[in-house]
Amino acid sequence: MVEPRTRNIRLECLRYAPGIDAAPRMQAWDVPFTDDMSVLQGLQYIKDHLDGSLTFRWSCRMAVCGSCGMQINGVPKLACETFLRDYLPAIRIEPLANFPIVRDLVIDQADFLAKLESVQPYLIPRAPRTLAEGPYRQTPGQMDAYYQYSQCINCGLCYAACPQYGMNRNFTGPAALALLHRYNSDSRDAGKAQRMEVVNAEDGVWGCTLVGYCSEVCPKGVDPARAVNQNKIESTKDYFRHLLMPRGSGSR
Amino acid sequence: MQIVRADVVIVGGGGAGLRAAIAACERDRELSVALISKVVPMRSHTVAAEGGAAGVVGGDDKLELHFDDTVSGGDWLCEQDVVDYFVAHCAEELVQLEHWGCPWSRTPEGNVNVRFFGGMKVKRTWFAADRSGFHMLHTLFQTSLKYGKVRRYDEFFCADLIVVDGRVRGVLAIEIATGEMFLFDCAAVVLATGGAGRVFRQNTNAGTVTGDGMGVAYRHGVPLRDMEFMQWHPTALPGTGILITEGCRGEGGILVNKDGYRYLQDYGLGPLDPWPRPKAMELGPRDRLSQAFWHENRKGRTIQTPQGPAVHLDLRHLGASKIHERLPLIAEVAETFMGVDATRAPIPVCPAVHYTMGGILTDGRCRTPLEGLFAAGECASVGIHGANRLGSNSLVELLVFGKVAGEEAAACARAASRGRTDDAERIASAQATRLLAMLNVEAGARPAAIRDAMMDSMESGVGIYREERGLRATCERLADLRTRCRRGILLQDRSRAFNTEWLSAIELIAMLEVAEAMAHSALARRESRGAHMRLDGFETRDDVNFLKHSDALYQGDDPPRIEHSPVTITKSPPRARVYGGEGKQAQL
Amino acid sequence: MSARQTYTRPVAGWWRRNPFYRAYIVREMTCVAVIAYALELLVGLGRLVRGPETFEAWLTSLARPWPIFLNCVALLLIAYHAWTWFEVMPKTLPFISVGGRRVPDRAIVASGAIAAVIASLLLLLAFLYL
Repeated sequence: MVEPRTRNIRLECLRYAPGIDAAPRMQAWDVPFTDDMSVLQGLQYIKDHLDGSLTFRWSCRMAVCGSCGMQINGVPKLACETFLRDYLPAIRIEPLANFPIVRDLVIDQADFLAKLESVQPYLIPRAPRTLAEGPYRQTPGQMDAYYQYSQCINCGLCYAACPQYGMNRNFTGPAALALLHRYNSDSRDAGKAQRMEVVNAEDGVWGCTLVGYCSEVCPKGVDPARAVNQNKIESTKDYFRHLLMPRGSGSR
Repeated sequence: MQIVRADVVIVGGGGAGLRAAIAACERDRELSVALISKVVPMRSHTVAAEGGAAGVVGGDDKLELHFDDTVSGGDWLCEQDVVDYFVAHCAEELVQLEHWGCPWSRTPEGNVNVRFFGGMKVKRTWFAADRSGFHMLHTLFQTSLKYGKVRRYDEFFCADLIVVDGRVRGVLAIEIATGEMFLFDCAAVVLATGGAGRVFRQNTNAGTVTGDGMGVAYRHGVPLRDMEFMQWHPTALPGTGILITEGCRGEGGILVNKDGYRYLQDYGLGPLDPWPRPKAMELGPRDRLSQAFWHENRKGRTIQTPQGPAVHLDLRHLGASKIHERLPLIAEVAETFMGVDATRAPIPVCPAVHYTMGGILTDGRCRTPLEGLFAAGECASVGIHGANRLGSNSLVELLVFGKVAGEEAAACARAASRGRTDDAERIASAQATRLLAMLNVEAGARPAAIRDAMMDSMESGVGIYREERGLRATCERLADLRTRCRRGILLQDRSRAFNTEWLSAIELIAMLEVAEAMAHSALARRESRGAHMRLDGFETRDDVNFLKHSDALYQGDDPPRIEHSPVTITKSPPRARVYGGEGKQAQL
Repeated sequence: MSARQTYTRPVAGWWRRNPFYRAYIVREMTCVAVIAYALELLVGLGRLVRGPETFEAWLTSLARPWPIFLNCVALLLIAYHAWTWFEVMPKTLPFISVGGRRVPDRAIVASGAIAAVIASLLLLLAFLYL
């Protein structure tokens, strides 16, 4: 079981107050912790007892809401499921990489949300279906084709991991493309053609050089790298299709 | 102050709020809808719900059975006409969600699968692995992106309602990123702000579940109904309170005490076999299971963990492949937070506050007594849960009543006349000044100290079992804490931009008001019913005096006044609430 | 929404900050070794076209210490290059199921690498004995 003893750890956090600080600075505190305490609980201890101005996002505490993504010793992680006991004697906490900092550990997620919206992430059915017709039939095998891509909690760790996004903010990015792929792979969806424009773009799948770090850091096993690179094949096929049938053979 | 005009404002971007937004747009394509949420919608607490959503699809099941299960589960404190409407509309909402892409788990033939859930006689709980809330919320959020008329205001904190001449005219909100004040000028408001479980120390809830909407409606004269009924989920991780879904038990998991004994058989939920069997043993209703834990603890038969007393939830006999297929999130959570491999060892669990049965008083169409104000979801008391909620009724409640609230709000906005905004602006400015003044308090209590005191007092006085002395002590403590807050909450963070300390102080004031409503309602109910159990001479249900709702009415700085109102009984007259007993082996 | 004064951190030097990124850069840089070796082979082809003596002279020039050393380094880098190709190969393939169960990524990587090793050995034997 878990040890009830209390030890100390040095937590170093990035601080940035907009309009007051010209640039971020680091601040450190000594925090007592028990072995079952997460980094999030460490931050809450600081806010409750040491410095009420330390600002960070959090909500569910169980790695399903995606709020608490941060760089922990330079690696993007969820603070609620990262444990202080693994980081003695000192731990460095910074906001997620590749995003502008709003304040302290809080980043600006507007671009991330815009990217999600840009892929038309909703079911586009073949034909209208009334409620009376009941649910679509979908076998477990058909669900398997898209299910892992539907597990994305929108935490943004993959964008923090992706150097292409870091260098080029216009890149659609891992989570958005994985979400696109989730819908394209759903047997109930017929919207693939509509989503090809986003896929085919220079900043679509072709912005990816398969660094693969996104899949490495994903806390839910979504494997966005795979979703993106599957679509490179689709994009290529689409290119040749349009080349050979330039009048557009009804795919729009 | 910035002013945003919209026809309908929805506060809260969880399941109910998003469903209301979609429904308002579908009902009336010309209306503009502003969706305000203090977190980006997919962070809303709906995301953490695990088990599933109930809906009668035919076969062995009938609407009457779902009705009966719900009303008896609620210990006859339900508004039966509303339950009638509810059960009749569950399945169609679940089908609608499936049409929108929700990945409900399937049978090998490709049909939607259903499972058993606590307190339900028949298998009717639709589920998406053990992440039903997650999938429902993401499906709703992604679907809402199709509706151009929904403008989202993410990370806007609803600080107050603006009421002019007895009618809701708008919402005062703080743009969290900048601390700027916004007046949302509108004709109808839907509150979908969730429950208030964070007033207790041990809870399964996210940090956002602080009763904001309840507090705001309450302060404007809307009664908070049945607040004494808090649901303890019987299986949460000790310490953190992280939820371990009822679905584990729906799949056949068992609860044992320190002697490896399935103790629920001692509490009227047996016999043991056959297992699994609906409405018996570990598939009994949540209040009974939590109460059994309390007794076992009293008898010294619980396991002592570093985080407190617990019992063991044993899933090992289900086998690794079933655990990984049906309960993957649970396996992950047990491993991550407790270092327990669920395929090899039992998981320590204990009850934690999970759901707020009571809330903002509404009728069956989600209308509150305040004109222009609607409420849906956990923040509302529409009347379906009564004294105890059955698992998998609340996720589908978000859909059924989210839709109703959206449609009603749209109709209200269409019919309303929009006046000038002068009065609303004046009221909003005054309130904004008061809120900003909190940043300049020079001396006072620290928020964490008040919050800790509140949580401990609620845990001890308004716990699973209550008695007069403890209830009165908590009522006094809460009054004292409210006084200390009025004298000033001392903030270390004085800035405007993303000041979460300031926001949590505003939340704290609402939490104390809601907690007071809970404690006083509990004190006034001199009987035991559903989740409200007393040990001080009121151990039984008293239908003669207390087959009534409790209504907490705000009295400003003074404690609430508690009144009682009748319950609508149509088809199901109160009878004894019986679980366990004989039954057939369930086919899972 | 109101304007905000966010701070954007500089990205320069990103690849130095993390072992995963450093490995990625090495992977990308191995293409230099591939190009260099390809050019060497091209030169050799050119010499072959000019006649057996020119070709023999070229081979002799390669048999000296530095060329041997550089070619060995190139061999290592190209082997790593090949390995990293197989490592990412699963990401480019759709899910493969055998007998109803999904083939795990490691199996795909392993089979690719093993196939490459076997093919290389066969080629080596062919060159030595034919």
